[in-house]
Amino acid sequence: MKVPISWLREFVDFDDSAERLAERLTMSGTEVEGIEKVGCSCTGVVVGEVLSVAKHPRADKLSICRVGAGDREYRVVCGASNFKAGDRAAFAPAGAVLAGGLLIKETSIRGEFSEGMLCAEDELGISDDHSGIMILPAAAAPGSALQDIVGEPETVLNIEVTWNRPDCLSIIGIAREVAALCGGRLKMPELHAGLGPRKIREFANVEVADSAGCPRYTACALEGVVVGPSPDWMQRRLHLCGMRPINSVVDITNYVLLETGHPLHAFDRDLLRGDRIVVRRAVAGEEIRTLDGETRKLHTGVLVIADGEGPVALAGIMGGEGSEIRDATTRVVLESACFDPGLIHSASADLGVASESSRRFERGVDVTAVGWAGRLAAGLMVEHASASASPGSTDVWPVKPQPRRIRCRYGRGRDLLGMRISDGEMADIFVRLGMNVDEKDAGGCTVTAPAFRPDIEVEADLFEEVARVHGLGEVASAPPRSALVPESDDVEERAVAECRKTVMALGFSEIVNYSFVSAALLDLFGKGNAGGRLVLPNPVSSDYAVMRDSLVPQMVETMGRNAAHQVPDVLFFEMGRVFGVSDGASIEEGRLCMGLSGKAGRVEGSIRTPATAEEVFLRIKGAAEALGAALKTGRFSFRSEDREWTEPGWCVMVELAGAPVGVIGLVKSALRREWRFAEPVGICEMSIAPLIANCFSSPVLSDIPAYPSISRDVAMIVDDSVTHEQVVSAIRAAGPPELTEVLLFDTFRSESMGPGKRSLAYTLEYRSGVRTLTDEEANAFHDKVKEALRSGLKAEIRES
Amino acid sequence: MDENKIESLKQEALAAAAAASNADELEQVRIRYLGRNGVLPAMMKGLKDAPPEARAGLGRAANDFKVSVQAAVEDRKSGLTSARQAGPAFDLSLPGRWRGVGSMHPISKVIEDATRIFGRIGFTVAEGPDIETAYRNFEALNTPAHHPSLDPGDTFWLEDGMLLRTQTSPVQIRVMERRKPPVRVITPGRCYRRDTTDATHSANFHQIEGLYVDAAVSLGDLKGTLEYFIREMMGAGVRIRFRPHFFPFTEPSVECDFSCHVCAGNGCRVCKNSGWIEIAGAGMVDPRVFRKVGYDPEAVTGFAFGMGVERIAMVKYGIQDIRMLYANDLRFLEQFR
Repeated sequence: MKVPISWLREFVDFDDSAERLAERLTMSGTEVEGIEKVGCSCTGVVVGEVLSVAKHPRADKLSICRVGAGDREYRVVCGASNFKAGDRAAFAPAGAVLAGGLLIKETSIRGEFSEGMLCAEDELGISDDHSGIMILPAAAAPGSALQDIVGEPETVLNIEVTWNRPDCLSIIGIAREVAALCGGRLKMPELHAGLGPRKIREFANVEVADSAGCPRYTACALEGVVVGPSPDWMQRRLHLCGMRPINSVVDITNYVLLETGHPLHAFDRDLLRGDRIVVRRAVAGEEIRTLDGETRKLHTGVLVIADGEGPVALAGIMGGEGSEIRDATTRVVLESACFDPGLIHSASADLGVASESSRRFERGVDVTAVGWAGRLAAGLMVEHASASASPGSTDVWPVKPQPRRIRCRYGRGRDLLGMRISDGEMADIFVRLGMNVDEKDAGGCTVTAPAFRPDIEVEADLFEEVARVHGLGEVASAPPRSALVPESDDVEERAVAECRKTVMALGFSEIVNYSFVSAALLDLFGKGNAGGRLVLPNPVSSDYAVMRDSLVPQMVETMGRNAAHQVPDVLFFEMGRVFGVSDGASIEEGRLCMGLSGKAGRVEGSIRTPATAEEVFLRIKGAAEALGAALKTGRFSFRSEDREWTEPGWCVMVELAGAPVGVIGLVKSALRREWRFAEPVGICEMSIAPLIANCFSSPVLSDIPAYPSISRDVAMIVDDSVTHEQVVSAIRAAGPPELTEVLLFDTFRSESMGPGKRSLAYTLEYRSGVRTLTDEEANAFHDKVKEALRSGLKAEIRES
Repeated sequence: MDENKIESLKQEALAAAAAASNADELEQVRIRYLGRNGVLPAMMKGLKDAPPEARAGLGRAANDFKVSVQAAVEDRKSGLTSARQAGPAFDLSLPGRWRGVGSMHPISKVIEDATRIFGRIGFTVAEGPDIETAYRNFEALNTPAHHPSLDPGDTFWLEDGMLLRTQTSPVQIRVMERRKPPVRVITPGRCYRRDTTDATHSANFHQIEGLYVDAAVSLGDLKGTLEYFIREMMGAGVRIRFRPHFFPFTEPSVECDFSCHVCAGNGCRVCKNSGWIEIAGAGMVDPRVFRKVGYDPEAVTGFAFGMGVERIAMVKYGIQDIRMLYANDLRFLEQFR
């Protein structure tokens, strides 16, 4: 909302400077976002008539003009091209001072003498337009001061009005705030005295078919209207408030809208078919061509103003072309009405059309002042559009609102606000804000909420008024109090934090990606789950159209982007939610994803040797195992199973107690090529819930061993089909209860073993809990293990 | 045998140990003074024959002899050992072997800091789902059905009538639905609004909200709590101020600014020359919200506040563009160790 200070002063007196006033308004909840100085803030600039334009002999983009400015002619070099001989333009002769303080002097430009400057609007401080010089109306007299044309400089407050304060979308509404803050008295505009000495027939043919959608409709008939330009001062105020002058009738409706906050609409009565107005819901499929030139198809959720045949306006939003005020219009029906905020909002949103009117109606206008605003405009039409008008109007207002009476308890207000303020000061604030106060007693008072303040509904709303007008600086800050909270159920949140810290300790750096991704990215990693994706009906763009169903695609993409920035070796992790649809319902789950690319995490070995698949796989798997150990998940088991995005043979499901909790794999080479990864990329994705379920459990202690252990090694050659896990299982199955540890210490292949074979070597530890084992006993245990490996796994035991 | 004799034997032994030029010589010294037939056993034997009144003093001297000579022999032994290790010295400037520790994303860091700071005054953490009901995200928070924030242009609505939460306030509703007052929680989490992404807006962002409900909680308590938090977060010297504002779920509603931590409120680029930086929206919980969750607004009052995590990170660390927080460039991230 733009508020010219001079307009504001019509309704309230105040001594503050614009800056001080802006500060007061902002600190009371009416935020002034900026103070603009509008208008010509230069001196010595006059109207110049361009007499001739010739090319500059040595510069393509420059021209040499002769400019007449009343007293004499000037020779001017100019760089703009938006004018021709005969135009009037803003001209600064030598000696003039421009908005930025620049003094114009006689000078030479590329060798050509110049006695002044043709100015653009930004150089004059009028706007920030620098697209060309400022062209003035043809009627402007050469030599006259520019100020005579564009007016004195004006200060305009740019106010951000909060959604709950529709009353502040008007000059008078802001004036009321200023009066309350600065102690001035609000002066309301007076209705035009010329209303009604000549009795003319009221416009009576109004039918409101949807009184819920239109609680009040008034119409005023005007005769003998002469449509022309509105007065300069009115045009200027519209300009200052960001509206474009159109003609006297339309400008007056806009002027009253800005002044009072009441949207009005003027119809050409001769274009209303059947000379009647019906306020009703649109019939499905009905069409209207609105003033912006768009043809709009309507549905029953849209309230329309119709004449005898069809819609002539979108109620409260925009008029139709069919009944538009023309130059030839002489009879006007002036509508001032009140529409249901929700209906206007949904229609405006559905049709994709908003206006100064709809902005106000959807927040709520003062239903009691609708008639007054209409008559205010009618008066201006009598004055400035030669209209004759009756003093009254047709007024369809079946249900009048009950005043809202709210009790204000002073003591409770002081307690809630933590403010020292007297009873009298509180009551005074309500009065200054235009509220009626009665039933005053020691405990409180009863406040009648004015009709223009739909936001005042309950006692807390009154306390807010006290707080903002008295000043929030008066709130005494109390140090934090800390009564015990009887329960604290944030174990899960703390466990997630623990998990994050652990993954960081393992060397991974945290990333955060958006929850939404492109379908194309997800498709790259597999279309198997495409049906279970949660697709956004109204995404910001196709890049963010689908809620991620896995953290993996963005992890790989992130590593790829880093690799492209010459950071190819990274350890990343993300903790976030993934989404999907299951049985028609949206679902979500917390996940952890770790990603490892290239040589990252290699502790030893040359940084020049490419990382192998084995290295990367075991590193990422090791990270998962270390995390599981730190968070006390219990031992993971791994089951080989490929995914759509993994390299064949390089992927395992991670399971806890038989239930899948995650996946570890190497990214398949087709995907690696997509981001030009030269080296293997390892990924681990797990569900967070099972990872952290046991995180804060207390340890169950067992005794430290009291007797020494005996170690025995076993090395064997086995088929490639035999896995480490199978070997360990076989050893454990054959071993006695005294077998306490099985550790792999070597794997290798050699030509002498033949193809498809490898050597695995383990250290086994035997220990008794009740006595010291003898060598003989240990040897017996160990022989049994070897025999089981021979018979069960066809292992060739290597005796040293 | 007297104490002087023991002392002179000690000096003699120490000199001999120091003079030993190789391990064999040193071993001879050890045997002569500490060996089974050496000086020390003889000394100990002599103790028995000494008059009772002299025994304590002699015992102390003998013990001193033993400890000192043993130490001297050990010292010399290690001296001889290292001297024997000829050849080039180990290059101690070679890089140590270590595996780097990862960094925490600044968004997590701000949430962690806030959790710790609020935790010290008794706030616990509560979380809720990203996919919310319209009831908890809007209606229970006293948001009128035609408020612009409900528009499909502002909110991501889903096919099943649910939505991606636009704020973490619905978690406050969830907490109040399951607990009786007093309640004191903060609710960090991810939120979504259909903003076009630019240097300061992101359609996917994070919030930390807080809620305190108890008997007789006042706007002054809110001010004191935010003052404490912002000073802990941004520096002890900052001041805060409240400006009135509007939120559907609080009454009164305020915006909270703090005096610029870069220029101490004098005006600079960071605070756009205003001296103040906007940090939080807050207010006293609207009684209509309390009624929705079954609290009696006559019996309890409360305050709520909300802050943008990205905004705090940007202000605190001097990040110019919110997109840096989602670019996940390691060269940026690894500075947050």
